[in-house]
Amino acid sequence: MHRVALTLLALLTATAVSAQTLTVWVWDINKPALESTVESFQEMHPGVDVVVEDLGNQNVYDRGLAGCAAGGLDMPDVYLVENNEAQVFWAQFPDCFVDLTTLGADELRPMFPDFKWAELTVGDAIHAVPYDSGPTAIFYRRDLYEQAGIDPADIETWNDFIDAGTQMNEAFDGNVKMGAIGKGSDDEWFRMLANQAGCFYFDQAATEITITQPGCVQAMETMKNVWDASTLHPAGWSEQIQFLQNDAQASSFFGSWYSGTLIANMPEEQAGEWGVYLTPALEEGGVRASNLGGSALAIPASSDNPELAYDFITNALADEENQREILFEYGLTPSLLSLQDDPALEQGVEFFGGQAIWEDILGTLGDVPAVAGTQYFQEAREVMIVTVNDYLDGEYASAEAALDAAADQIAASTGLPIAD
Amino acid sequence: MTPDPAPRRRPWRRRATPYLFLTPFFALFAIFWVYPIAYSFVLSFLNTRQRPWTLDWDFNWGRLIQDEYFWNALGNTMLILVVQVPIMLAFATLLAVAFSSDLLKFKGFFRFAFFAPLVLGAVPYSAVFRLIFNEQYGVLNYALTAIGLPSVSWLYESTPALVTIMIAMTWRWTGYNAVILLSGLQSIPATLYEAAKIDGATGVQRFFLITIPMLRPVLLFTFVLSTIGTLQLFTEPWLITTTGPGNATETLVTYLYQQGFRSFNFGYASAIAYSVAIIAAIFSILQIRLVGGREVER
Repeated sequence: MHRVALTLLALLTATAVSAQTLTVWVWDINKPALESTVESFQEMHPGVDVVVEDLGNQNVYDRGLAGCAAGGLDMPDVYLVENNEAQVFWAQFPDCFVDLTTLGADELRPMFPDFKWAELTVGDAIHAVPYDSGPTAIFYRRDLYEQAGIDPADIETWNDFIDAGTQMNEAFDGNVKMGAIGKGSDDEWFRMLANQAGCFYFDQAATEITITQPGCVQAMETMKNVWDASTLHPAGWSEQIQFLQNDAQASSFFGSWYSGTLIANMPEEQAGEWGVYLTPALEEGGVRASNLGGSALAIPASSDNPELAYDFITNALADEENQREILFEYGLTPSLLSLQDDPALEQGVEFFGGQAIWEDILGTLGDVPAVAGTQYFQEAREVMIVTVNDYLDGEYASAEAALDAAADQIAASTGLPIAD
Repeated sequence: MTPDPAPRRRPWRRRATPYLFLTPFFALFAIFWVYPIAYSFVLSFLNTRQRPWTLDWDFNWGRLIQDEYFWNALGNTMLILVVQVPIMLAFATLLAVAFSSDLLKFKGFFRFAFFAPLVLGAVPYSAVFRLIFNEQYGVLNYALTAIGLPSVSWLYESTPALVTIMIAMTWRWTGYNAVILLSGLQSIPATLYEAAKIDGATGVQRFFLITIPMLRPVLLFTFVLSTIGTLQLFTEPWLITTTGPGNATETLVTYLYQQGFRSFNFGYASAIAYSVAIIAAIFSILQIRLVGGREVER
C-alpha cells in the first residue's frame, strides 16, 4: 500500500512539474544563449523550469517535420526554426504552430525589420518571432596572417583572397590553409556568394528556379577559383572546428553567428588572436555583404503552455538587455531594430583582439540583398550540395553546365519551371 | 459426471482458440505492417508535392526512371553489394573455420571478440570510424604515412568514401556472419572428414570438397540476409560519410529518407521504397535459384 501511495505521489508531482516546464529545441550556440535569458524569465514566472535542448541543426528540422507530420506529437514548447526553412512548415503543416497574433504578437511587428517577417508570416498570421540574422564575414587568425605576411586590409576581392591563400600555402608548406569549405556536405559557400551576387535558388515569389542566372554562375566560378588554388580544406562542420583548434586553418567564411561557435570552441590561447574583415567582393568595388542563416522561435500548437512559451520568447528576443547579452556573450546578431544603432556596438570584443566587430558586421546588414526562403529550400539545397561537389571535382565543363544540370534536377523534384 | 452442456459447440471453439491467441499479433501486424505497406503503394501513385495530394499515375514512377540521383544511389548500392558482400562472406567463412579449429585456444574469447562490433551502438561506432578515417588527424592515415604510403582523403573523395563504407560494414558484420556459419560448420558430421583423411585428402581439398558444399544452405542464408541488409543500407553512409561527398555514398534508403523526411515528398519516397522491395525480391529469387537450386534436386 505504502509503495502504491508513493508511486502515485511521484506520478502526481511529475505531472505537476511537467506542467510547469518549458522545453526548448535549439542547436549549437543557441543553447547557452537562450539559457542566459532563463533567469530574467523566471523573475516573471517563478517556479517554471526551462529545459533548453541542443539537438543539432539538422535534427531540430528533421524531428520537427516528423513531429508535425504526426499531428504535433513529440514537440517542444518552443521551437527554433531557420528562416529559410520556415516556409516548409507553414506550407506543409499550417496548423502545427500557434498563430502568435492570438497571443499578442501584433505589437512585435514594428520592433523587427520587414525582411525578417517576410518568411515568418502567412497573410495576417505570425508563426515565429525573429531571432538572429547571419550577415557574413571572414573570421581570421591575426597571428597566422601575420606570420604569412598577409594584411587583411588588402583583401578586398576574392582574387585578393586567392593571392593571400597562395601566400599562406607558401608560408606554411600547405599545412595551414586559408579557409575551409563543406564540400560535399553543405553548399553554404555557394549560398553566401550567390546571395552576394543577388542570386538564389528561386525568385522572390518562389514560382521559378533562378539558379541558372548570371549571379549564380559568378558565384560558382568564384568558388571554383578559390578551391582550385588549393586554399581550402574540404571539411564538414566539426572537422573545421578541429582544423581551427589545431592551428591548421587561418580563417572561416560564415554568417556572423559563427563568432559564437569560435568563442565557445577555441582553446584559450587563441583568445585575442582572432579578427574579422568584411566578405571580399566578387569584383573590384562590388558588394561586400551577404547573409547566411538566421533563425526564429515558434510555438508548436501541441504545447500545453503557449502563454508561458510566448513570454519566454518575447523576454529572450524582444528585450534589449537580453539581446545585448546574447550578442556580446554568444555572438548572435540581433534582429531587434532598437539595437541596430546601440552605442554598445562600438565596444571592442576581447576575443577578437579588442576589435569592435559588431559595428563592422552590423554595418553590412543594409547591403544584404533580400532573399525569400521557400518551401522547396531543402530540395534545392540537397541538389546543390551534390552539384557544387561534382563541379569542384571538375566533373562539369563549366559553371553553366553544372547549374543547368542542377536546375533540371530541382525542376524534377519541385515541379517549378526554370526561369529564362 | 455432469453431461456436456453443449457438445456441439466445442469443436468450433477449439478451432477458434488458436486464432484468438494470435489475434493480438495479427491486429498489430495489420496496423503496423499491412496498412503502411498498402498505403505506401497507394502513395506512390499520388502527387504529394503540394497539398492537396492528387492522383497522378506516373508522376513519381516517371520521375524515378529519369532521376539521375536515383540511378546513382542504385549504382552505389549495387557496387557495395557486388564488392563488399562476397569479400565479407569469404572472410566470415575463413573465420568460422578458424573458430572451430582445434588449434585455436580461447575460442570463447575470439568468438565474442568478433561478434562484439554488433553489440556496440551504431552511433558511437560511426563516430569512431569518422575519427579513424579523418584525413589529417585520423589514426589510419597516420599508420599509412608511417609505412611510407600516401595518406588518403577518406571522407571527402568519392571512391575512398565508398571504400570507407565498405570497410566499416565488413568490420561490423563479418563476425556476425561467421557465427552463423559456425553453427553450420558444427552440423557437418565429423565422419566425413575422417573418411576423407583416410582417403588421403589434403586440408585444402577437405575445405573445398566437404566444408563448402556442406555449408551451402547456411552460406545461402547469410548471402540472402546480407543482400537484403545491403539493399536497406542506411546507418553507415548516413552517419559516417553523411552520404557524401556530394552523393558519392548515397544509397537507395538514404535517398528514400531524404525525399520522404527532408523534402517531404512521401509519394516519391514510396515509389523508391517499392523499387527497393522489388529489387530485393528479384535478388532473393535469383540467389535461391542459382545457389540453392541443387538443394531441391537432392
